[in-house]
Amino acid sequence: MIQVENLEFQYPGNDSPTLKGLNFEIDKGEVFGFLGPSGAGKSTTQKVLYKILNGYRGSVWIDGKDLSGWDNTYFGKIGVGFELPNHYLKLTGRENMDLFASFYPDGRKQKVEELFEMVDLQEALNKRVEAYSKGMKMRLNFIRAIQHNPDILFLDEPTAGLDPVNAHKIKQHILDLKAAGKTIFVTTHNMNTADEICDRVSFIVDGELKTTDSPQKLKSQYGKEAIRVELKDGRMEEFPLDKLGENTAFLTFIKQAEVKHIQTLEASLEEVFIQITGKSLVS
Amino acid sequence: MKKILRLALIDFKIIFRDPSLRVFLVLPVILFVLIVWLVPYLVAKYEFLVPYLSLMLVGAVIENTQMYSFISSMVLIDEKETNVAKTYGVVPLTKRQYILSRMLIPYLFTVALNVILFWVQPFFTIGWGTNLILSLLAGLVVPVYVLAINAIAENRMQGMVYVKAFNLLVLVPIVAFFVPDNFKHLFGIFPTHWVFQSVNNATLGLPFGWLAAIGFLFFGVLLWWVSKLFIRKHFV
Ligand SMILES: Nc1ncnc2c1ncn2[C@@H]1O[C@H](COP(=O)(O)OP(=O)(O)OP(=O)(O)O)[C@@H](O)[C@H]1O
Ligand SMILES: [Mg+2]
Repeated sequence: MIQVENLEFQYPGNDSPTLKGLNFEIDKGEVFGFLGPSGAGKSTTQKVLYKILNGYRGSVWIDGKDLSGWDNTYFGKIGVGFELPNHYLKLTGRENMDLFASFYPDGRKQKVEELFEMVDLQEALNKRVEAYSKGMKMRLNFIRAIQHNPDILFLDEPTAGLDPVNAHKIKQHILDLKAAGKTIFVTTHNMNTADEICDRVSFIVDGELKTTDSPQKLKSQYGKEAIRVELKDGRMEEFPLDKLGENTAFLTFIKQAEVKHIQTLEASLEEVFIQITGKSLVS
Repeated sequence: MKKILRLALIDFKIIFRDPSLRVFLVLPVILFVLIVWLVPYLVAKYEFLVPYLSLMLVGAVIENTQMYSFISSMVLIDEKETNVAKTYGVVPLTKRQYILSRMLIPYLFTVALNVILFWVQPFFTIGWGTNLILSLLAGLVVPVYVLAINAIAENRMQGMVYVKAFNLLVLVPIVAFFVPDNFKHLFGIFPTHWVFQSVNNATLGLPFGWLAAIGFLFFGVLLWWVSKLFIRKHFV
């Protein structure tokens, strides 16, 4: 669906490039994530892909067609969830949604009430956006991005500024969209978000991709596929996950005293990130 | 066309819900009161004002363009500052369509104001054809002004400063009325000069076609140029 080769981009006026030759591809129906610290170039990459920034080098193919060859129909095909809330404050949530829906040839695919309900905003439908909290505005960003039923979604930090309950809801909706066959490109500096929703992630630091793989593979590659069992009497031992149920040493061990704690030795995505890039996600 | 109209109407909502913009809608009303009642009263009382009547009309015509120039400039600066402008960069609407939809109502509204002004002013007889040509020409100040302000201002504060500067700038060619005749077209580097001279000639019953033609051409080129600058900046 999306193929990117040697993508380089430099902001006019800067003296070094922000993106230094990125290579990645995103398959149809995949949730693909960019995980990286602030300033890594996540938003910049998306801005190139949704054609706000021109003058990149390298090649970008969308649906088999060169990005620069796409005309305005491209924008009917994609949906963009911006990093920061951006709405007309003097208009209501519904008026904002209606206005932007009106630019698409086929309009909106779902009732506006349903969309607001999806993200728990039904009470705010007819309120002016100036009366919304930041989290509410971000949820409005999300439903505006999906209202015309686009094939490709660019979601820049879709859970930033949301409380855990709402963040969870948005993540669930992203998975639903994936199930409906959408191609989804998310950016995040939150490893949990990446871990929970992405089929594959790329680690991006200083405009370079350090690795790309599924969160599961990365975690097991850099951790141990094993568990550590701690008993109440203080004894502690490690056992491989493989055939654990048939491992007599393990079964005997847990019968010797009450179990205090069992922990997997899989690395967290954040630990993997630090090992691979030598950088922390929170700078 | 439907989407263009939709966007044009949204602007009205935004203006009417913003007290700081809404107040400016009374400007033309004040202007009409001045032209229809106060000026005739003064002229009757102080006869030495009579030669300046056409100049006053020129001033009124240009002031009519300033209301929407200001309001629209502010709406667009606000839209940029709140990042809403970015959203227009990712919808299936061409940038030219966007400009058309944002400028159409301010332009037509301003044209209408001037048509009414030429119609109700009690000093000169101005035919409908002349009225329309002059009004269509003067209205072009609005889009050029608004797009230029938005192409150069980085934020609301700067916007206000440029608005003040532009308010003066559009009036500069008034000076042409006070210099010897063979120098007056030196002020032709200011586009509003051609509006002023057209109006002036029309009120005096002199030919104004070529003056207006230069005006349309000048504003047309400017509009094309500032649109380009604006597009480069507004949606990023
Ligand atoms: N308009 C701009 N002009 C010049 N430089 C810019 C511009 N926007 C971003 N940059 C620079 O490009 C780099 C990457 O920025 P970008 O916004 O892509 O980072 P990010 O990974 O999205 O970070 P965050 O997690 O903070 O959103 C930064 O060093 C930033 O300073
Ligand atoms: Mg970003």
